[in-house]
Amino acid sequence: MDRVVAWIARLVFVFLYIPIIALVVYSFNSADVSYRFEGFSLRWYAELFADQLLLDTLRTSAIVGVCAALLATIVGFLSAFALVRFRVKGRAFFLGAIVIPLIVPEIVLGVSLLTVFSTANVPTGLVTLILGHVVITLPLATLVMMGAMSALDPSLSEAATDLGATPWVTFRRILFPLLRPAVLAAFLLSFTTSFSNIVISTFTAGVGTTTLPLRIYSSLRTGLTPELNALGTLLVVFTLAIILVVGVGQMRRILAGGTPPPTN
Amino acid sequence: MKKMLITASAIAGVSMLALSGCSASTTDAAANDSLNIYAWAGEIPDSVIAAFEEETGISVTVDTFDSNETMISKLAAGNSGYDIVEPSQYAVELMVERDLLATIDKSKLEGFENLAPKFVDPSFDPENAHSIPWAWGTTGILYNEACTGAEVTGWSDMWNPDYAGKIYMLDNMLSAYIAGLQVNGLSATTTDEADIETATNSLLEQKELLAGYNSSNYADLVSTGDACIAESYSGTTAAQAVEANPDVHYIIPEEGGTLWTDSFSIVEGTDSEDAAYQWLNFTLRPEVAALLTDDASLASTNAAALPLVADQAQVENAAIYAPEADLENSEFIVDPGEALTFFNDGWTRVRAS
Amino acid sequence: MTTTTTTTSKPRSRGRAVPYLLLAPAIIIITLLVIIPMIVIARDSFAISDPLGGNLGGFTLDNYAKLIDPVYAKTLGYSLGMAAINAAVCLIVGYIVAFYISTRAASRQPVLLVLVIIPFLTDFLVRTFAWINLLGSGGPIISGLKLIGIEASSLVPSQLAVTLSLLYAFLPVAVFPIYASMRSIDPSLKEAASDLGAGWWQTHARVFVPLSAPGIASALMLTFVPTLGVFVIPVLLGGGKDPLVGNLIVTLFTEFRNEPLGAALSMVVLLLMVLSAAIAGIVIRVVNSRKAA
Repeated sequence: MDRVVAWIARLVFVFLYIPIIALVVYSFNSADVSYRFEGFSLRWYAELFADQLLLDTLRTSAIVGVCAALLATIVGFLSAFALVRFRVKGRAFFLGAIVIPLIVPEIVLGVSLLTVFSTANVPTGLVTLILGHVVITLPLATLVMMGAMSALDPSLSEAATDLGATPWVTFRRILFPLLRPAVLAAFLLSFTTSFSNIVISTFTAGVGTTTLPLRIYSSLRTGLTPELNALGTLLVVFTLAIILVVGVGQMRRILAGGTPPPTN
Repeated sequence: MKKMLITASAIAGVSMLALSGCSASTTDAAANDSLNIYAWAGEIPDSVIAAFEEETGISVTVDTFDSNETMISKLAAGNSGYDIVEPSQYAVELMVERDLLATIDKSKLEGFENLAPKFVDPSFDPENAHSIPWAWGTTGILYNEACTGAEVTGWSDMWNPDYAGKIYMLDNMLSAYIAGLQVNGLSATTTDEADIETATNSLLEQKELLAGYNSSNYADLVSTGDACIAESYSGTTAAQAVEANPDVHYIIPEEGGTLWTDSFSIVEGTDSEDAAYQWLNFTLRPEVAALLTDDASLASTNAAALPLVADQAQVENAAIYAPEADLENSEFIVDPGEALTFFNDGWTRVRAS
Repeated sequence: MTTTTTTTSKPRSRGRAVPYLLLAPAIIIITLLVIIPMIVIARDSFAISDPLGGNLGGFTLDNYAKLIDPVYAKTLGYSLGMAAINAAVCLIVGYIVAFYISTRAASRQPVLLVLVIIPFLTDFLVRTFAWINLLGSGGPIISGLKLIGIEASSLVPSQLAVTLSLLYAFLPVAVFPIYASMRSIDPSLKEAASDLGAGWWQTHARVFVPLSAPGIASALMLTFVPTLGVFVIPVLLGGGKDPLVGNLIVTLFTEFRNEPLGAALSMVVLLLMVLSAAIAGIVIRVVNSRKAA
């Protein structure tokens, strides 16, 4: 049965990459339209690099994504830790408040955030954009971290305390290393959520801080140009390259669970 | 552990730098040295922006929106930071009622006389007090003759059961009602409740025959034959489909069809007024307006620009410039005002049926 | 070793303020950016709408009264159905993938996580159109079927296309929380279970699922609820003929220029979710206390 599950999982990975492969193939399409493949050409890559406006939005999205994801992961980690390992009064209310952004439709949230910013005289721009993205990524990061922390065996920290470790040392040497995969998961999830967000960005962006997906969504009426396939291909290749460069070995050292981290 | 802290602080540091770099650049520019424009994507060619920047030295930032409503929401919230916006005709009306647009001082304009008569003193903006039309188009029908097997002449063909499952309507209430009203011989600008009810019933009937509501890739679908007939806007995507496939045609329905126009307006309270007028005058020049057709495949409102268009085939393309004869019965879609509730209720019923 | 109930170790009076300090940043963010906007939304839901699109303030119950119309119930019903299907599909697939990743070599796991996420660095609309082309009549699937001799019409628009696209869009959000929980589970438990004679299904049902329950619950929350708000996928891949809450609310805010009604509808959805969470909580407590008894 494990074998069956493993094969299903592998199939799912293939499923995940099917449109990506289509994307890559069509990025080299010489035809004007996306649905027909005519021949090999690099024209879309040339157009992409000439499109300064689009590249600016890419930079904005990347910056906002990293900032929002960092903030969400850190705050989410702290909150999850407090909620799971301590008895907190009003836990249910807090949890409820945290997941509200998931329930309320984005357009409603976006418009009301804009109203709040504008009443408070906060000019829209990079900061409001990041704040808006934190609102929708914080619940993700918190829930992911809570899930990881709840599943941790409590006897581990008890054992550490019994052996004379202070809470801080227990945290640093036992808990945090075990939670690192979850931290990575929370960060990655928050980043991609922010990177692909359209609606909140529409309302919280300011002049000159249009994000990439926003730019693309607004070209829906005039048609998406195939240069976007080139952009997608480059992003995929770029990230794959990072994985290779950072190296499996590095990852192993950083994230191998269970074994104590090297003493620094 | 140390490595993680270092990496984390490095990322944070770089982000802060980037952040500060970004905000610095937007606050440095003095009021009249910069112009912030909020417009439809693909309607202001890069060539126009570049030429403007070079000639005036004013740095232009263009942000794009996906719909008039989004744009109005952002402006209504206040302090949007934009100087020029590009609303569609009904949006101009709405924004004027909400005091979002500045009155245009005609004495500061040069080249206003270049505009075609249709766009001077239009119904939606008397005396062009608040908007200078830039691009225009029509809402009509895009169809694939190989798929329909016959010539299509009007909205009534979109109710033809022979094409069931291959008909698309635009995913837009007012656009759908254009068809619903005109197919019944009613005016597309009516505010009469009974008229709207008749149209609603037609739309309800039509829904069973529809493949769906589509405002994005309908042109591709018609081109490949997945769709026989679709309600369509004139412009870039329609033109592309017509050029790519000789079986694809764009027509103004015989019942009338409608006109849309996207205009430049000055945002009320802007601090870059001079730059804004420079932009208006620049875009009123025939050679600049001609770039709209050449580089963006859209119809220009500037009559003097037509002979200057380099690629005259675009001027002949009915999917961009509708022939005058066909436009006899076309009207501008304007804001329904109080009648909006009738449309809303009808549309909710149609979409939920 | 008891691992079924999570008895968290509670430090005594020494760190009583600690949890609240840890929660402080979140509380600040939530108050300013969630609670206050929610108050604005709640306030708007009682406001009088203005045909021009503004909000005339005032107080009225008209918006809520309007929602009693069966049209809205139908819309909510369809949306809840679609959300339930998507959540179920995502949970099953997400669980499988999360389990698979958590049982690979420790060094491989982050790589696999990143591999799951990479497709989502490409733009959502670009990916969606890639799917439309793939599933369309010119795409490889239909062409392939035609080669075998099966005359198939385009898969777009269709319910299948919507379900596939939704699964695709929500997969990371389903996989990651479950993975995060599973990762924390002691792997020797699996061996222990099989040593004690448990089959595959039993091991999962009695060990893995309960232990990764928080993660599964998070994944459920993160897939079911946001699916209620989707509006792009059902229109692009489904044709937009079914009434859905996401589309309706966007339309209310934009074309219908009726923000107060949109706000009211959002409040209703929020209330529904809170109610179901409360009911689910009660049910779980009842079930647990029965088990303990």
